[in-house]
Amino acid sequence: MKLILISSALLLSSLALASDHNNVEAGRPLRFDDAYSIAFRERAFEFGVSLDTFRRRGPSYGNKTELKYGFAKNQDISIAFEPTYSSATRTGDAGNVEIGYFNGFRREIDNSPALAYRVDVGLPTGRGAKGLDLRFRGIATKALGQYDKVHFNLDLNMNTSPGPGERRHTVGAVLGYSKPLGYPRRFDQTLVADFAIQQSRNQGEGYVGSVGLGLRRQINPRSVFDIGVTTDLFSTQGAERSPFRLSIGYSVSF
Amino acid sequence: MKAITVICAAALTTVSFSQDHSGHEMAGMKKQTELPAMPKDMPGWLRAPGADHLFYKAAPYNWAINRIPKFAKDMYATGVGHAMAYEALVRGETSTLETKTFNEINWVLKHQPAMPVDEGAISPTFLRKYGYLEKVFDWAHTLHFQTIDVFAHPGWTDEQKELEIERLWAFYEAQPYAITGLPMNMDYLDSFSYSMKFRTDYPKVNGLFWGYHWLQTVNYDMLYMVPVKDQAPQYEVLGARYHETELYKTDRDFMPMAAEMSPRFAKRFPQIANAFDNLHMLHDNVNDILAQPQLTEVQKQEQVKIAIYRVLGTTHKGEKAAESEGKENTLHDHRHPPSMPGMGWMKGSEDDIMWMSGMGWMDMSACSHCSIPMPEGNPWGATVSAEGWTMMVRCLMCARDMAGETPGRAIIRAATNDPNRLLVLISDEEGNWTSNIDSVVFLEKYGEHPECSGWSRAFTTLSALEKYVAENPEYKETKPLKLAEWAALNHGTPDTYRKIDKPNPYKSGPPPANGGSR
Repeated sequence: MKLILISSALLLSSLALASDHNNVEAGRPLRFDDAYSIAFRERAFEFGVSLDTFRRRGPSYGNKTELKYGFAKNQDISIAFEPTYSSATRTGDAGNVEIGYFNGFRREIDNSPALAYRVDVGLPTGRGAKGLDLRFRGIATKALGQYDKVHFNLDLNMNTSPGPGERRHTVGAVLGYSKPLGYPRRFDQTLVADFAIQQSRNQGEGYVGSVGLGLRRQINPRSVFDIGVTTDLFSTQGAERSPFRLSIGYSVSF
Repeated sequence: MKAITVICAAALTTVSFSQDHSGHEMAGMKKQTELPAMPKDMPGWLRAPGADHLFYKAAPYNWAINRIPKFAKDMYATGVGHAMAYEALVRGETSTLETKTFNEINWVLKHQPAMPVDEGAISPTFLRKYGYLEKVFDWAHTLHFQTIDVFAHPGWTDEQKELEIERLWAFYEAQPYAITGLPMNMDYLDSFSYSMKFRTDYPKVNGLFWGYHWLQTVNYDMLYMVPVKDQAPQYEVLGARYHETELYKTDRDFMPMAAEMSPRFAKRFPQIANAFDNLHMLHDNVNDILAQPQLTEVQKQEQVKIAIYRVLGTTHKGEKAAESEGKENTLHDHRHPPSMPGMGWMKGSEDDIMWMSGMGWMDMSACSHCSIPMPEGNPWGATVSAEGWTMMVRCLMCARDMAGETPGRAIIRAATNDPNRLLVLISDEEGNWTSNIDSVVFLEKYGEHPECSGWSRAFTTLSALEKYVAENPEYKETKPLKLAEWAALNHGTPDTYRKIDKPNPYKSGPPPANGGSR
């Protein structure tokens, strides 16, 4: 009971609590990261729900809950849970637990981009999962004009124990764009867009190319609401496409 | 060939501007003619490539500033104002700074954001060029907001708040970007070859900056030891003054100083008042450097780094306030007025006597109304805020009569018999006062001014007054006064008042017509 009360109090106080709409992070709501970590000593709680539709089967619903901590200047660690529910099979999956490390080792200086990398390790906690899912992501952020920014993410993924017909290594890339909306009169929302290419995990299938559009909006000094839609534009060699993906999320810092 | 020409030109400019006496060996009060040189012990973090964002101290009081919504929004708007001006300056938009940029900022100041803004996002060009400076600004601004939050937090006693302010200072000071809490010689810091350029060439935008700094310092006496419920009503007066006058003043002699705006706070927390003044002087230095068209980009970068170096805590490590023998008028001059540790040495100061813009020469050790020294042990009988200044006075009579001499609305904050209950009186334009304590009664038995803090007092209840009278039978014939009766009294300027006739040190020529005094 005491634990529930403490948890409730923490959540309520968090609701009054600060993320930053300018600080873009993967999943909130699109797939790209900018090259900046959360602040030193900042704790952030991010919560999101998603709807994914497919041509060949029913939709699936997902949730991503992530806790982050800025344990050092320009560096944070995170733990994420991603349960899903498939309407086609009427089954839920606790999903893999992801442990992440982010290092924003260089800010944007003059004409040189900000640089960062992140490493995520997916533990095999999901249904039928084996081995570890490893991801290394290199990130660059650079100004485009005065206020807009472009973000380039390059992913190298590895599964230590791929299933039959699965690739051990896959690659992906995301080109992101962010634009503060309303300057010079309002300063509380950022438009985000991305174009991503991801190699399918299934051998014999090719790449899926998608575009996304979203908005991050500051609700109060400590929290941000986000919403984004993504559609897979094309695929090669029969890779499965999702015509519509909706993501809604909320982030708070405390 | 073009590159060689540019490099040669830059080198020549550098030679003509630079290499002085180590950058911090100051030559009296004269304006220096050469650019300060890069010190040898520049801290390494200035070259660090990381963004180094820092989160504020986690605490229950964070964002309590929003309990005073108008004040909070005005404070958030100051961040936009700073950022827009810096962005325009580094983008070379100086020709439209006083027009287009001023108007854009002014719009935001009148239509304030409801939430704090990310200054770096509003000034991305400035951030790419001067990211190390933004670290210093951000961290000091965090201290600003958190100290305000503590005072605006309703759940704690004054004692708890004072302890937390001390902890916040320690939290702030632990970072390498922290600005020193020692008093600095403001005259020295404003004496470089580039100094005063911004206020001279861009008086309207400079006026905005100094207006922000007025707001960022005047609020502390509005909040310090004031019950939370009595804070917002004061901002009705101060906020109106800010929007109507302080933002648009272009005739200040010098930037507003924390001890001029919030003397009680500056006396209690001198290290924080000094840090804010040093921060605001860093803003002035940076503005002056960025506004200098003769300086190359490289020189501007260097001079901004040197300006940061001058005010960092690490530069003054081991030094102490008031211990400056042999270092007068240098970077390491930490003298302060003896009765005000929360203020650095000002142009023309002599001990406690200093020039206050809009007020003239004032003696900080004496009552601003009757010129009699402030009583020992009780550092303030009352303060009066009016016309943009805040002054300490010995007693309530001095406070009332001084406010009565001043046009416009006024605020009096006064001690009562109860050390935990501060009396806050607010007047309208006609001089009608309202009180935060409904049952307040006054004792006033007009007599000799040197004893005024004994015979002019406020009490939270009639019984408290009667208890005081019982202990001091000389007042047994004195009738307790209700607020309206007390407010109707006025004894004018006391005969003990002495004005100091000296010329304005910031302006050449004869003293002003009012004798250089209020």
